[in-house]
Amino acid sequence: MNPRAIYKLAIVLTKSQLRGYQRTRLISRILGDPRVILAANGILVASLAFLSYFLLARVLPGDVRTAVQEIEVEALAGIPTAMAFAVILFGVVVEISQPVQSMGTDLINWLPISPTEYVAGSTISLSYTYSFMLSLFLGATLGPAVLFDMVQIWFAAAVLSVISLFVGACVVEMLRALTNRISSSFYRKSGRSGIFVRLFLTIIVLVFFQLMFSGQIIVYLLQSVIQTVRAAWFVPVLWPSLAVLGLSQGSILISSTFGILSLGFLAALFLLAVNFRTRFWVPIPVSIKLTTRAYRPQGRVHTLPGMGTVESAIFRKDLRSLTRRREMARFLAIPFVLVVSLGISLVPLGGRSFPQGPGFFATIPLYLMPVAIFCAIISMTSIGQEGYAVWNLYASPIEARQLLKAKLLYVLIMGLPFAVGLLVILGLFLKVLVTHFLVLLSLGMVVVLEVSAFGLYFGAKFPDFRETIRSRYVTAWGSMVGVFSGLLIAMITASPVFIASLFRPSLTDQLAVLAFALGLTVFFVGLKLAEHQTRTLLQSIRT
Amino acid sequence: MKIIVGILKPDAGNIQVLGADVAKDTTAVKKMIGFVPESPRLYEFLTGIEYLDFVADVHELDAASKQERITEFLKALDLEGRENELIHGYSQGMKQKLAIIAGLLHRPQLLVLDEPLNALDPRTARIVKDLVHKLRDDGVPTIFSTHVLEIADAICDRIVIMYGGKILEEGTAQELKTKAGSPGSTLEEVFLKLTGTSDIREIVEALSR
Repeated sequence: MNPRAIYKLAIVLTKSQLRGYQRTRLISRILGDPRVILAANGILVASLAFLSYFLLARVLPGDVRTAVQEIEVEALAGIPTAMAFAVILFGVVVEISQPVQSMGTDLINWLPISPTEYVAGSTISLSYTYSFMLSLFLGATLGPAVLFDMVQIWFAAAVLSVISLFVGACVVEMLRALTNRISSSFYRKSGRSGIFVRLFLTIIVLVFFQLMFSGQIIVYLLQSVIQTVRAAWFVPVLWPSLAVLGLSQGSILISSTFGILSLGFLAALFLLAVNFRTRFWVPIPVSIKLTTRAYRPQGRVHTLPGMGTVESAIFRKDLRSLTRRREMARFLAIPFVLVVSLGISLVPLGGRSFPQGPGFFATIPLYLMPVAIFCAIISMTSIGQEGYAVWNLYASPIEARQLLKAKLLYVLIMGLPFAVGLLVILGLFLKVLVTHFLVLLSLGMVVVLEVSAFGLYFGAKFPDFRETIRSRYVTAWGSMVGVFSGLLIAMITASPVFIASLFRPSLTDQLAVLAFALGLTVFFVGLKLAEHQTRTLLQSIRT
Repeated sequence: MKIIVGILKPDAGNIQVLGADVAKDTTAVKKMIGFVPESPRLYEFLTGIEYLDFVADVHELDAASKQERITEFLKALDLEGRENELIHGYSQGMKQKLAIIAGLLHRPQLLVLDEPLNALDPRTARIVKDLVHKLRDDGVPTIFSTHVLEIADAICDRIVIMYGGKILEEGTAQELKTKAGSPGSTLEEVFLKLTGTSDIREIVEALSR
């Protein structure tokens, strides 16, 4: 092993990971420097520690202090396990989000780097990239630890969390090697059905990931997790947490036993990861045959109603992109995530029952916000998802109006069913009256239309076609402006109904018609703007 | 080349392609041109046949023409039997072939080919070169960029030597050789002479030390 090669490789991988998220040269230079990351981590821990100490010691009342004291040990014991799982989940999601083109580690393949050096460099880089999460946890718990005289335990938790961080990184490294290999073999055998299985699995992972980071769920699960940790001593990934718990109970023997076991587990995982890398070194680009049928052109019969050949061709391409590109799975996961998140806030959780169903006025934003967010996201990203292949559109005889029509249909085909489905779920949960249901339905439909039109405008104005290190689709600024505008538009459109439901419920139906008309007007204005912007885009290459 | 194809705005001036103004009548110009970029990025999630079908639809070819042209080209360029595979799994050469087919599918009146022979096997490269000749004979001109001067010497009627973004010389291969004062030399030697980069021997000496 060449430590210098490992160090250099870790630096390069960290830089490429961090710089991939930033556009401006200054920010990317700052974030791409590992020393800056290290300093930022230190500052984060210190400031959070100071803040938590100050809040507990000076600001918050005594009963909160007592409550925090009771959960401090559990929190410290939970950090190592949480770190391992968080790194694994983030790692999986990032892997999923990466476009096929930037997946390969083949750049490394022709350099004189051994699998051991590569795995060491890669795990260090992964741990470093996710070190912010660790700093967040450690900083938040340091203040209470100082206040309640638990600095020793905190220090042990910090060391064991670093071990867990590496455990998680080794697992991700193994997953990378394995998934490349498995998906290659699986793909080759399964063809078209494999695409759908992968899509389904990806959506499940993303929804699970979202649930893991839901505040309510975390609060609910915290105590049961700690109980699980105690009971499941035979699960290696929990050993670092058990070592912390052992120390908190004053048992040096238990603590050091689990500490040593944790190190042994890390070593075993590292060797396993090296073994995987040695066996599956190069991700093999696979050739998947989707059909054995001879080519038969579809002709005009397959042209969609109201659309020409060009629009239909673009629309069909986009639909295929949605189901076949693994980085697109996150868009399909959004409705599920939004529904589950909404469900969590509606379903009685942890023995606490939720207040009675909200009044009609509260149902309006509850329904329209997810609809607006979803439509804003899918419409804004629909242009940029062309990626580097966008030259195909630039170089083709496509009019702005044709491109816009195809993209709008693509957005509506997802947005409208989502709006209806969400309303049905909400209606069942909140026992919405039929008249209110119809009002919400009309609002939902018109919000889908107008937000989609404006989303397409922002997507054409701020497209980001870069695909390395991950697909971006829309610039950070563009996505912020787009989502904010979408919410604002939905709010303005719904405001007549919202106000009526609060002050003059008898006028709700009439004002719903007004809101619908207002929404349609906004939709047509949005379409005009989007068409102009798409024309400008098609005239000047922007990759 | 991107300006000719209408995907980049010129800083100044305008370009007429077959009588149409690129800036004003962009879509009409794009219909007349067949373009193969230097490194074609294709839709990797589509199969080869789906990609060609998409391009044909965008050019509004009818079903019969689509079937005839696509089948013909797939066979000629040895892609037959691989057309139902995702492009993601294609080799660089196969992707290049697909881009060339896409550029020729709609019977363009002008071809703009940016390094089209990159990554092609000798058989396909020969087919493309002969096709360019045949199309020229049929009245379809080609603008062809290459760094391999033997190719330019072999297939181009008129050559423009560009260096550092500026045109240094233009004419037939023979005219260029004569202008450079060495009628019997290769085009590569002419280029080195024109660009003042003929210090090759010293560089090789230095590198081999």
